[in-house]
Amino acid sequence: MTRLRASLALLCCAALLSCAPSHADRIVVGSKNFTESFILGELIAQQVEAHTTLKVERRFYLAGTYICQQAMLAGRLDIYPEYTGTALTAILKQDAAGDKVAVYDRVKREYEQKFGLTLTPALGFNDTFAMEIRGEDARRLKIKTLSEAAQFTPHWRAGFGYEFMERPDGYRGLVATYGLKFAEQPRIMDLGLLARALKDHQIDFAGGNATDGLIPALDLVALEDDRHYFPPYEAVPVIRQETVNQHPELAGILAQLAGKISDAEMQQMNYAVDGKHRDASEVVHEFLKLKNLAQ
Amino acid sequence: MPPHTSTPKIEFVDVSYHVAGTQVLSGFNLQIANGETLVLLGRSGSGKTTTLKLINRLVSPTSGEIRVDGKPQQQIDVIRLRRGIGYVIQEVGLFPHFTVARNVGLVPKIEGWSEDRIQARVQELLQLVGLEGTLASRYPHQLSGGQRQRVGVARALAANPEILLMDEPFGALDPLTRDEVQREFLSLQQQLHKTVVFVTHDLHEALRLGSRIALMEAARLVTVLSPHEFLKSTDPWASAYVRAFGAGLEAAADRGTR
Amino acid sequence: MKVLRFMLQNQTQVRDLTLEHLWLVGVSTILAMLIGIPLGILIAHRTRLNKPVLASANIIQTIPGLALFGFLLPVPWLGARADRLAILALTLYALLPIIRNTYEGIRGVDPAVIEAGKGMGLTESQLLYQVELPLAVSVILSGVRVAVVISVGLATIAAAIGAGGLGEFIYRGLSMVDNRVILSGAIPAALLALLADFGVGWLERRLQPK
Repeated sequence: MTRLRASLALLCCAALLSCAPSHADRIVVGSKNFTESFILGELIAQQVEAHTTLKVERRFYLAGTYICQQAMLAGRLDIYPEYTGTALTAILKQDAAGDKVAVYDRVKREYEQKFGLTLTPALGFNDTFAMEIRGEDARRLKIKTLSEAAQFTPHWRAGFGYEFMERPDGYRGLVATYGLKFAEQPRIMDLGLLARALKDHQIDFAGGNATDGLIPALDLVALEDDRHYFPPYEAVPVIRQETVNQHPELAGILAQLAGKISDAEMQQMNYAVDGKHRDASEVVHEFLKLKNLAQ
Repeated sequence: MPPHTSTPKIEFVDVSYHVAGTQVLSGFNLQIANGETLVLLGRSGSGKTTTLKLINRLVSPTSGEIRVDGKPQQQIDVIRLRRGIGYVIQEVGLFPHFTVARNVGLVPKIEGWSEDRIQARVQELLQLVGLEGTLASRYPHQLSGGQRQRVGVARALAANPEILLMDEPFGALDPLTRDEVQREFLSLQQQLHKTVVFVTHDLHEALRLGSRIALMEAARLVTVLSPHEFLKSTDPWASAYVRAFGAGLEAAADRGTR
Repeated sequence: MKVLRFMLQNQTQVRDLTLEHLWLVGVSTILAMLIGIPLGILIAHRTRLNKPVLASANIIQTIPGLALFGFLLPVPWLGARADRLAILALTLYALLPIIRNTYEGIRGVDPAVIEAGKGMGLTESQLLYQVELPLAVSVILSGVRVAVVISVGLATIAAAIGAGGLGEFIYRGLSMVDNRVILSGAIPAALLALLADFGVGWLERRLQPK
């Protein structure tokens, strides 16, 4: 009886140990839980599917940067789209400084040294924070940059997302850098409502993202960050070194995407999914066809 | 009746035991001869069970010395000591997850006997205590009280110890069964001549089974007498016992060995 | 049913996440048994220690799951990897039922049996392995059963800090506002809990002393 028990216990342990996470035969692509990340994840997935025989598994809508990073370290994800600025401040916990090339190089180097992860070339656009005003105001006042806009801020009401208000490299730094002074305490609103509120004259100055789909759609203008306050947020595929070692062709295939997406093109794709409610995989497929990358 | 062998099998020299502020045993001196059945008789709380447990070191004395075969207990490894002493308690304490055979054969097994030798011994013992050999594969919960008690005795005798300690072993049995097992005990002792230390509060049983009776009261040894001497004794405690137990005592004393 | 079709279409992912979940629960339960059972045996034999040990395990249990994850995140080596952290937290939560049931199981052995065993000359370890543990195993397993069922539930929260497992489906489904995804996590998790409860319960009954 005791021998039976012992062998049963051993069997259970063996079965359990074989559950240890691993997957040699597929590529797992992840994304965070907002539209742009989801589109980029789909882009990476379709690119790999089109140019290799590898099976791709999608794990999208992961609840944030930390979750994605953990999944990469644990080997549950092979690739996911990140932003250089986010990698620098949120994961490497360093101060944002330098231009986009410097930031890219630093992130790549540290990721390789510390995490066994690497970056393929940036996809092209810079999804930094965008301070938006109405198109009509920009044209009337003849302003293009934040420095030019500073003098008008006492007449304006502003709206920002909660996180922007709280982050040290958010509202406080912005106001200090450009000497902005708003008419009243800024309104904190849901990011999705900022553009609408701006359009409807509820606010005059909104803190959004550069690739917001609604910027061209609602005739909004993103003011230029002429003092380079915001760090660069170039979109880059992050991939595990081990995955590259096992499938060396992936490096080249992902490099094909380098610089292929302009700010405007990203805005359009975001709008297609968010604004026009189109299916993301269709939108991505069209884009890849356009760039002669689909097969 | 004085013991007639030179070195006592078990000897208590000025033993005291106290625990949690209570003096359980005080200045206890006793010599137990080889092959005799010594009965420890007394009320609850008189210290008789503790005295028994001092022999197999389930309890350690606070002061004084206990000698087994002339050697002080301190010099004997406690496990070896216990393996050489059979221990039977009132609740029996058979291992419920072992068959009768495994229960009885446990000490031989851990002493390294061969499987064949153990099986043969189990059958021999079951016969000795008056049980069917077929009971060997049963579990304790399938046995009656009397059967369980007999298995307990068989288990205690398995490795052929020279000393047998019994703590009110028949107390939980019905009168008829008790009578039966007492008779069987007497015949067993005739065959085996073990040194038995037997605890009871029942004078009938003491007179019937013991070669000598050690009367205990309030942590002290009052007197040690043979059954017949006990009945005639003028000691206040002894006569109190005799009075309390009333009739049939002579007959019981007569049925004692020697 | 839409959910079943979805699960079939994504069966590799369902399988992956289920295995991840089992890994989290399995490793932590085994660790909790390796620590908790010896501890339970210790306090059953040296009862002076039982209050502090049981009280500590109790305190850990009262900390809400997500809060415990939050406490452990800043810890250097642990917080670096979410699955390490999750396994530690799950192990801590599994300790109380296992320690307590081991303690109760051993204390619950008939004292007459223990006395007879000691009197017969069984050594401490012989008494433990041949008598106490076999007689207590059913109660100990009952504690393991409780621990496993708690772990399966708690492990779904572990996904919130990036440890993976079936909870990931649930959180992703919430983000995507897609019930099929949510249920693809919730249903297997519930089934796992039921299976564990049933399976260990069966083992308990098999090993119950006569």
